Amino acid sequence: MRAPKWWDTQAKMYKWKSSFLAILLAAISIAQTPTQLLTPAIRRVGDKLSCLCGACKNTVATCPMLECHYAHPARQQIASMQTGGSGDDIIVASFVKKGGLQALAVPPTEGFSLFAWVMPGVAILLGLTGIWFFVKRVRRPVALAQIAPEAMDRYHLQIEKDMAKFE
Amino acid sequence: MENIGALALLIAFCLAIYSVIGSLVGAIKKRPFLITSAERAVYAVWMLVTVASGILVYAIMTGDFRFAYVAAHSNRTMPAIYKFTAWWGGQEGSLLLWAWLLSCYSVVVAFSNRKRHRVIMPYVNATMMVTLGFFILLIAFVVSPFQVLAQGKGIVAVPDGNGLNPLLQYWTMVIHPPMLYLGYIGFTVPFAFALGSLVMKQPGDAWIHTTRRWAIVTWFFQTTGITLGAGWAYAVLGWGGYWGWDPVENASFLPWLTSTAFLHSVMMQEKKGMMKVWNIVLVSATFFLSIFGTMLTRSGIVTSVHAFAQSPIGKYFGTFLVLFIALVVYLILDRLDYLKSESHLESVVSRESSFLFNNLILLASCFAILWGTLFPVISEAVMGEKISVDAPFFNRINIPIGLFLIFLTGVGPLIAWRRSSTESLKRSFMWPAMGGAVTIVTLFALGIRHGYALISFGLCMFVTVTIAVEFFKGSSLIKTKDGIGFIPAMIELTHRNTRRYGGYVIHMGIVAMFIGFTGAAFNKDATVEVNMGDAFHIGRYELKVRDIRVSENEDYLAQHAVVDVFAGGQQIGTMEPEKRLYRTSKQPTSEVAIRRRLNEDLYLNFAGTSGEGSKPVIQAYVFPLVSWIWIGFWITAFGTGICLVPAKLRLSYARTEVVGYAGKNVQVEK
Repeated sequence: MRAPKWWDTQAKMYKWKSSFLAILLAAISIAQTPTQLLTPAIRRVGDKLSCLCGACKNTVATCPMLECHYAHPARQQIASMQTGGSGDDIIVASFVKKGGLQALAVPPTEGFSLFAWVMPGVAILLGLTGIWFFVKRVRRPVALAQIAPEAMDRYHLQIEKDMAKFE
Repeated sequence: MENIGALALLIAFCLAIYSVIGSLVGAIKKRPFLITSAERAVYAVWMLVTVASGILVYAIMTGDFRFAYVAAHSNRTMPAIYKFTAWWGGQEGSLLLWAWLLSCYSVVVAFSNRKRHRVIMPYVNATMMVTLGFFILLIAFVVSPFQVLAQGKGIVAVPDGNGLNPLLQYWTMVIHPPMLYLGYIGFTVPFAFALGSLVMKQPGDAWIHTTRRWAIVTWFFQTTGITLGAGWAYAVLGWGGYWGWDPVENASFLPWLTSTAFLHSVMMQEKKGMMKVWNIVLVSATFFLSIFGTMLTRSGIVTSVHAFAQSPIGKYFGTFLVLFIALVVYLILDRLDYLKSESHLESVVSRESSFLFNNLILLASCFAILWGTLFPVISEAVMGEKISVDAPFFNRINIPIGLFLIFLTGVGPLIAWRRSSTESLKRSFMWPAMGGAVTIVTLFALGIRHGYALISFGLCMFVTVTIAVEFFKGSSLIKTKDGIGFIPAMIELTHRNTRRYGGYVIHMGIVAMFIGFTGAAFNKDATVEVNMGDAFHIGRYELKVRDIRVSENEDYLAQHAVVDVFAGGQQIGTMEPEKRLYRTSKQPTSEVAIRRRLNEDLYLNFAGTSGEGSKPVIQAYVFPLVSWIWIGFWITAFGTGICLVPAKLRLSYARTEVVGYAGKNVQVEK
């Protein structure tokens, strides 16, 4: 029987590595359990809550990661609280109590957070005001008449010259 | 080798500084030899940065794992093309790419203007070199790509590297970053010319004529970069989204908005000699937002899944921005007299006004996105508590803004320059308005009740009819006059004024994109765990998982779910979404399967198996009309190409001159 060569060892190592990775892949897959079904009720509340997983800017309802470490338990919590008879506001408040205001998907419309909503509108208003001032400053009524005679003569002359080119 | 790379950067930095000083001193003291010498330094800087880049790329391609950067972002098993992309896969390398591209632009500018614009060129060079010098400073002294791995006093090499993030190993990621960078960096050129013009108090708009093509080309690079990023997110991340309002995505979008505003507003200056200050502000804002976006991506100010690792470079960017903004503000205020409008607005109902509103809307969108992106940081600073600003906020604010913008896209061409009479407005608006109204009524009758979607489809039709009428009217005239066919007449029409009609084609591209965006209102999704052979439904499709197969190669192991797709009782195809596990990084990724059609995409993601490993978990999505986003991009690309073709007729615009004022009912002598 021949002695094992180094390439045999390498080939075996490759197989071992592949097997290990195959087990790992399976383990990752097995770790996936079906997500909590997104019922309209869960979706309604989940849309008000931010997914704080750090990998997306979605809501708890729209985070697409199956086993998201934040959205998945959050959906389960919403479902269990709904089963327990809690209303939407109470569920949302419980998330805020635990995670602070950042648990909300959008800034609340009170206190300092109101600025988040108001400022884009203020910017548009400022822009409109700017346009109004600009228009006021640069707008001149259309010149219809009472043009200085020498200016008119100059234009008539120019027109005659231009027309002469076409003849 | 690493020493040569580091030395090349060091010398390049010194030469960039020399070029800045030489240009400025030469211009102020009127020393032509110094100006020429400073210009030649630009070529030397380019050569040195090229050498440094070549060394890094060589190290990556040959797997020189003594380099910390190579070990962190490459490995032996990666395909050559992805090894190459590791150049910009990390902080240090991407900054080097940035510097190299900017040095290329600088060389092109210096060479192509060696006999032109001699008065402002020293300032143009100085601006380009200050910016380039700043980036070289970062890679030479703060985040060097030439750091090596050391053990004790010796340099060591690790056997293999970590490899590039598997999510980045996708074809669009090969060109997405360079395209974005070309777009970001490209706006340094119009900015440099604007600054040069401002410093030299140049009257007129020579800088605009010179940089018009630069602006269009770099705008197109930005558009391409953003679309490729969206395409990558759609095809790789496994959730079917193409835009998530992530801070890094937003950072790439902000300069696009201001550059789009600039491309429109610049026409006011070319045709009417108006809005000179505003154009300088816009081109500067685009440049600053490009730098700001880079800072946002790399400094850790905001949290983002796309961001590079945190590093201390934020303060450098901050200082650079503050100094440059202060300089521009000072120059604008000091030279206001040279930036006065040459003509006046005759009527509020004019093309000029539509451009003003177009700019307002683009800038409002830009501000809203910037505000939303920074609000978590601001709220934390003010209240001590971070407040989330997620996708729903951005959608709520930007959807109405976007709809108004598409409305203006249709309105603009219908209103004449200077002023439009009520009669002409009625004539111009009749067909487009009817087209929009008919679309809304038809879709409503077909059962669509989504308000924004109805408005969006209606406006898309409004713009489409507007543009079609523009082409039809012009082509018909040429057809009659020259006695040629309609298609040759249309080509002739476009060739006569490529910017105008190319612009209309770009608008059509934007309309197509809006159709795609609007389709998102009707998305469907389902996440199901099924037994092998069982079927489930989404939309009009019935899906049956037939098999799970395993495969492997040197780089990764993969599981494929084989899914038969049925519609109307007939099998219409088989899709194979895949889950991979990369050997080196041990990172799992999803390779989604997409059945792309014009009306909708069927999108499957194989999330894995559950239970005893026998039940596949499939995420299925139906995305109506999403293909129109990518089609819109190609139309935009075509339109940009048309804009770059020199027009057959060289148009010179007569500027309005008000020579007198009149009361009402005064007769003009005939």
